[in-house]
Amino acid sequence: MIKLLAAIKKEALILLRDRVGLAVLFLMPMILIFVMTLIQDSAFKSLNERGIPIIFVDNDKDSLGISIELGLRNSGMCTFNNMIDGKPATAEMIEKAVSDGKFLVGIVVPKGATEAIRSNVKVLVQQTLGVSDSLQKPTDSVEIAIYIDPITKKSFLTSVTSSLREFISEIKTKIMFQTFSEQISELIPDKNNAPENAFSQSQIIKYKEVYASKQIGEIVPNAVQHNVPAWAIFAMFFIVLPLAGSMVKEKSEGSVLRLQTVPTSYLVFLNGKIIVYIAVCLIQLALMLSVGKIFLPMLGLPTLVIGNSILGIILLSVSTAFAATGYGVMMGTIAKTEQQGAIMGSLSVLLLSAIGGVWVPTYVMPELMRDISIVSPLNWALNGFYELFLRGGGIVDVVGDSLKLICFFIFTMVVSLIVNRYKRKV
Amino acid sequence: MSDKPIIQVESLTKTFEGADKPAVDGVTLSIHKNEIFGLLGPNGAGKTTTISILCGLYSASNGKVEIDGKNSKNNIDHIKQIIGVVPQDIALYQTLSARENLNFYGAMYGLQGKDLKNKIELWLNNFGLIESADKRLSTYSGGMKRRVNLIAGILHNPKILFLDEPTVGVDVQSRNVIIEHLKELNKSGMTIIYTSHHMEEAEHFCSRVAIIDYGKIIVEGSPKELISGNAGCRNLEDVFLHLTKRALRD
Repeated sequence: MIKLLAAIKKEALILLRDRVGLAVLFLMPMILIFVMTLIQDSAFKSLNERGIPIIFVDNDKDSLGISIELGLRNSGMCTFNNMIDGKPATAEMIEKAVSDGKFLVGIVVPKGATEAIRSNVKVLVQQTLGVSDSLQKPTDSVEIAIYIDPITKKSFLTSVTSSLREFISEIKTKIMFQTFSEQISELIPDKNNAPENAFSQSQIIKYKEVYASKQIGEIVPNAVQHNVPAWAIFAMFFIVLPLAGSMVKEKSEGSVLRLQTVPTSYLVFLNGKIIVYIAVCLIQLALMLSVGKIFLPMLGLPTLVIGNSILGIILLSVSTAFAATGYGVMMGTIAKTEQQGAIMGSLSVLLLSAIGGVWVPTYVMPELMRDISIVSPLNWALNGFYELFLRGGGIVDVVGDSLKLICFFIFTMVVSLIVNRYKRKV
Repeated sequence: MSDKPIIQVESLTKTFEGADKPAVDGVTLSIHKNEIFGLLGPNGAGKTTTISILCGLYSASNGKVEIDGKNSKNNIDHIKQIIGVVPQDIALYQTLSARENLNFYGAMYGLQGKDLKNKIELWLNNFGLIESADKRLSTYSGGMKRRVNLIAGILHNPKILFLDEPTVGVDVQSRNVIIEHLKELNKSGMTIIYTSHHMEEAEHFCSRVAIIDYGKIIVEGSPKELISGNAGCRNLEDVFLHLTKRALRD
């Protein structure tokens, strides 16, 4: 125990005095989280098709305009606006605002749109019931103008126009029933028997979009929910640089040679390193989560939601820390020079992180890359955090990913011991 | 000096993988308790390889090594407890201070608490390092680093001390301090096995020397015996040059 404590103390002191190493371990991932989250925030919004800014001008001030406004406000697919730079939007302002990129879509409902529908429907109903001159013609159709920023995703545009059609259709049906009711009331004097305009009072079929999450409330995948765990995992695995570097340095400076002559097992030195770097990984994760909880919201970004399972987070974090530390030890054992360790370590972590969905989430990757991603331990860890943070999973839901990470740690240890034994066999 | 050898080496051979000649070729040695035994030879003669095998760093290709009456193959843990090793390189952590380095290596030998603290203080004092004990090793001169390197090997008061060129690259003052303290340790019962290129130092320091060349022991005896036994030689350096010739080595 005394030997292990001494090994831990030595390792911690060496690490604390390596300022560049500490900056790589703590500052770099924090900066990455800030930068990547800010960069990806709009992309994620577009991906989710939620919160896309729409500017709306209602010159109609009647049923259609009100119905479209209510529909857009309640749809949740956009951020509704009817003011530009603090002033009420007008049809003239809207095109410029969209072309300036302030809004992705602009909608103008023209004056008299509802009245035009009403008069057209009335003509049609009266002609159907044979109570008017069959030569009476409907008035000209009205035009709802939609201004579109070219970067708007086609799928989002389709859903906006579909919604508009739905609102117009609904209002047309409503007016039609109203007109029918009025005309029938005129034909049937006993108004008590006239059909009630009940149709417009109720919507028979409704839609409800629910994200498949066990969490109370809906946690939508956004830039924060992805980037904070992703870059925290990346940072944990990036300990390969200082860890492998310190191991190679021990070899090149001769400390390992002296350590081989002392009556202490090699595992004690290794355990000293593993314990210190696991602690570093856990501190990194806590820092990154606090960035997501406290600092990102200060920049107007969403607050990180960490789910309800603290035990799940602890299990997954410790497993990830073990996997990352094991990887660092393996690289440090295999590498012959510090340069070799740095290049092999950083490149392999960059590659594993890219494959594993750190840079770009796996759910937007092509199928082939999604299939490949499962080989990356960073992907196992990220999946586990998605399970906890997005799907509201508990400890049971991350046992699988945690086991994979622990198995990876065991694998790296076995490789390290075999390589070390082979190298020492002189 | 006791008659019982504390180190017994018989027909020791070491051939490295891929090498066409053995680095150590049938070395047989007996080193007695309380001796200061010098293993001398030109570059590449096999000194460090022999010491590395005795310390358990390398395995022997052939031959038998007994340390403290125990076969080194099967009793490496016991042997590691009773030996101290001072490697030729400064095998210390440069970002740690001398005190931190010694705390770590002392703990690795099982020392702890006040005992460890007192020993560190004693040796830092003896070697004139107490005032700079808390400075990082990277700020030390070559001679200071050599002294810390030596303390790390003797802190646990080993029965046998292996020194691989302990005074290489140090000034006369540091060398004198090192040699004086090693003599003190030897007087207190420590057996010392020492390699060096410094013939004058070996002549005055060692009770017995062996000259090794091309992996073989070519002569063995006290410095006086070797000087008197080789006609025309006035000192150990003359004997060394006489026996190993003047050809340059790799």
